[in-house]
Amino acid sequence: MPAHDVVLLPTALKLYPPVVSLDCRSQAFGPLNFPFHLNFGSRNKKVSRLNAGFWESIRSGILKNNTAQVIEPPSIVEEEEEPLPEEFVLVETTKPDGTVEQIIFSSGGNVDVYDLQALCDKVGWPRRPLSKLAAALRNSYIVATLHSTVKSAGEEGNGQKKLIGMARATSDHAFNATIWDVLVDPSYQGQGLGKALIEKLIRALLQRDIGNISLFADSQVVEFYRNLGFEPDPEGIKGMFWYPKY
Amino acid sequence: MLLHNHIPITPLPLRNPTRRRNAAISANFAVSDDSLSSRGFTFHRTIENLNLDHLNSVFAAVGFPRRDPDKIRLALEHTDALLWIEYEKTRRPVAFARATGDGVFNAIIWDVVVDPSFQGIGLGKAVMERLVTELLEKGINNIALYSEPRVLGFYRPLGFVADPDGIRGMVYSRKQKKK
Repeated sequence: MPAHDVVLLPTALKLYPPVVSLDCRSQAFGPLNFPFHLNFGSRNKKVSRLNAGFWESIRSGILKNNTAQVIEPPSIVEEEEEPLPEEFVLVETTKPDGTVEQIIFSSGGNVDVYDLQALCDKVGWPRRPLSKLAAALRNSYIVATLHSTVKSAGEEGNGQKKLIGMARATSDHAFNATIWDVLVDPSYQGQGLGKALIEKLIRALLQRDIGNISLFADSQVVEFYRNLGFEPDPEGIKGMFWYPKY
Repeated sequence: MLLHNHIPITPLPLRNPTRRRNAAISANFAVSDDSLSSRGFTFHRTIENLNLDHLNSVFAAVGFPRRDPDKIRLALEHTDALLWIEYEKTRRPVAFARATGDGVFNAIIWDVVVDPSFQGIGLGKAVMERLVTELLEKGINNIALYSEPRVLGFYRPLGFVADPDGIRGMVYSRKQKKK
């Protein structure tokens, strides 16, 4: 398997394959939690409800048999737009039995490394040493995540929280950013979540004035990223890898 | 120019690509430290003593847009590895390259430049091979870059492959976005 590669997703999913996959070996470590609050201002951490409009652009639309309320800010970066909150509810669904599931986006990088490893296992990526995973997260400029929380009807406070998606970007904090490791839990694929994840990540990067956002895409996901505004080989510029293993 | 260390410059058609990769890792530099110092060049791995205005001039000389030196400084402070060559006579940078990444898995090389008056004598290769080696020594195996079409031939002999396995480099463009 190529060192740099894009991962071949497990069968069911077409749209949200990760961009890069890596080799690794697992090791045992103590709980590693890296609250990683990259912040720009004091108005973070509020979970805000915003207007719909975003979902029209998502092909898969509304979930069947559920009341899915889509709460989403307009996704195009405009001239005077509100800064993206660090954390907010992307989708809220009320199931027939009354439980409420929320998909929460966060750019705060609060990822439990064990959860991440479990998610990587789920999408079929080769294992990587936990300490390296933790270091990679720490050294990333923005780590964007999707978590699902489920609350029973009438339950107060947060329900169980589960990591269901992640994408991260490395950057020099001034000019360039590169997106790596895009993944969405197979059971949550096909709902436009991967697209939302990338859109929000892009928006967060643009708001920090990073002008050049790049990534490397497997041939089968070039279209996916094209639809998000990425152009392959702009002006003939080619992505090259040093002695790729393949 | 005599090369002190003889390494295969063009990737050999070895049956096993891994052997080729391993061979490159263990080989010595094509442009040796001696050949650099004997010609009056010193190389540096930090931004200490690097005059950013001079660096900006080199960028401008090769056609990069001139960038705010404060932003350049910020970028260099958040760069995983960088290498520059100083021409002792003028005390100015004449070659440069840097790499950003996550420090463990991936690195991307940016801003590879050689002052036009110093091109063609192996400085670009010297900078690149040392930068790649430094990244490999840190355990970073996935080293990538974006190459303009006219310099693909510069990177290929250094071991870089374009679009391996169909992977495409993509860049975000605001105008591009479909709704």
